[in-house]
Amino acid sequence: MFLQDTPANTDGYMIAGYVISFIVMALYVASIYVRSRNLNRDLTLLEEMDKPVAPVETSQPKPKKTAKPVTKRSGKK
Amino acid sequence: MAVKSTKIDRRQMTADRDISRQPSTVGGQSGSFFKAVSAVVWKDLQAEFRSRELFSAMLVFSLLIILIFNFALELDIKTRQSVTAGVLWATFAFAGTLGLNRSMAIEKDRGCLDGLLLAPVDRSAIYFGKVISNLAFMLIVEVIILPVYSVLYNVNLFQPGLLMVILLGSIGYAGVGTLLSAMSVQTRTRDILLPILLFPVIIPVLLSAVKASSGFLNGVEFSEISLPISLLIVYDVIFISLAFMFFEYIVEE
Amino acid sequence: MQSKPVLLKILDVLAIVLLGVSTYFALVIAPTELVMGNVQRVFYFHIGTAWTALIGFLFTAVLSVIYLVTKDLKWDRYQVAAIEVSLVFFLITIVLGSIWARPAWNTWWTWDPRLTTAAITELIYVAYFMLRQGIDDPDRRARFGSVYALLGGVSAPITFFAIRLFRTIHPVVISGGNSEAQGGFDMTSGMLTAMFVALIAFTVIFIDLYWNRIRLGNLEDKVEQLKLKVTM
Repeated sequence: MFLQDTPANTDGYMIAGYVISFIVMALYVASIYVRSRNLNRDLTLLEEMDKPVAPVETSQPKPKKTAKPVTKRSGKK
Repeated sequence: MAVKSTKIDRRQMTADRDISRQPSTVGGQSGSFFKAVSAVVWKDLQAEFRSRELFSAMLVFSLLIILIFNFALELDIKTRQSVTAGVLWATFAFAGTLGLNRSMAIEKDRGCLDGLLLAPVDRSAIYFGKVISNLAFMLIVEVIILPVYSVLYNVNLFQPGLLMVILLGSIGYAGVGTLLSAMSVQTRTRDILLPILLFPVIIPVLLSAVKASSGFLNGVEFSEISLPISLLIVYDVIFISLAFMFFEYIVEE
Repeated sequence: MQSKPVLLKILDVLAIVLLGVSTYFALVIAPTELVMGNVQRVFYFHIGTAWTALIGFLFTAVLSVIYLVTKDLKWDRYQVAAIEVSLVFFLITIVLGSIWARPAWNTWWTWDPRLTTAAITELIYVAYFMLRQGIDDPDRRARFGSVYALLGGVSAPITFFAIRLFRTIHPVVISGGNSEAQGGFDMTSGMLTAMFVALIAFTVIFIDLYWNRIRLGNLEDKVEQLKLKVTM
């Protein structure tokens, strides 16, 4: 190797290297994030489906909604 | 054709029944182990002798590969010397996957594997049996390819050193290949998966075998060839031990 | 839905900070190499990712054994996470190695022991995921995965030594005086510092990603179980 006064200009390669490193790592982090978000969505959906079904008709029929005595003083005029 | 296949099935089934009848007494365990191994080998060889489906496929495929290499590489006299070992081993590797795939697929499809597993024999006996029969198929094909290649390219391939390397390499290949084919046959992707699993793991074998083969063919000093041969032997020992240990994990239900 | 443990949140921040610090050391504090110039600076990330990925792969082999012995699927989840993160890091290693090789040895690739073994190792672990994809039963998937990871893990070092014995351009970086192989360089103290900073930084980053990936695996498992329960 002959002596050089200044080192070779390989800045382009360096930048390429760093850019690629950061992009690959960012993509991987993004992939974990996206996958976990999808799974959480699935989880919420499944938990909904898994909830015990709302209690069906009880022996007493639900009292029909009669006019409730107005307890609150409504400001409506 | 249908008649032929039922004949084979019956033979395989009776062979499996015979294996099942192996005594599994504590005292005669080593005896029954060898009996089981030879029963497995014998069953495969018998079945193959009848149908020759594996064998003919592997042989024809190997010849076609050599043909392709003829067009892919300029196998003129000068290049031939440096390239013969590689061409041979590439051929064996590809034809080998064919044999391994079919051998396991036959076991699985005809229910023979389940039959064997029901038998009260050590799982490793099944492993060794399959390795030996797969090895036998490979060696038979190789033994035919060698004279064909010798004639086609006017190279003498019948040197004892080369034959020894082919044996050692094939042992390693069949040892690992049998385990991996037992795995791949149980997946959805089956046949396609075996080369993907096998080739990266088998590289040391190919590397050493080509180096040693090339050494023998080109009359290199033995001191240089002894290294790859030692590596082949080491690999064979390590991997056959590992595969033998892991086989039961692969076939258990 | 479990929220992230505080320690992990701290680790996330620490990982990002250390990445920045390491970048600063590599780009600013470390001196410029005399012959090949600034491309040598990729070496720090190259070593950082290589070191952690290789330890990750080694760890994988241990996890295989533990799973096969205990049959507890959590070890399988740990293994998948380790292999996945190591795979990503090793990819960076290989690409950076190639980028360094181009101006240093005037070629994008050489078939020397380290690069070749690196490529083969990467392929082994890609094959690992392809194997797993073809199996539905979680227990079988774990068993097959473990066995293959172990076989691959034993085969890769043998490949490395085989190629090294039978052929030989990768620079032996921390050499005493002369770099015999082309593209080697002598490390000054500034470079050594940057290298150690990178090693530490990438170890932390690896552990951070690994822990996050394990949590993802646990979440996956939870969803699978719930799916089975709901569809019964």
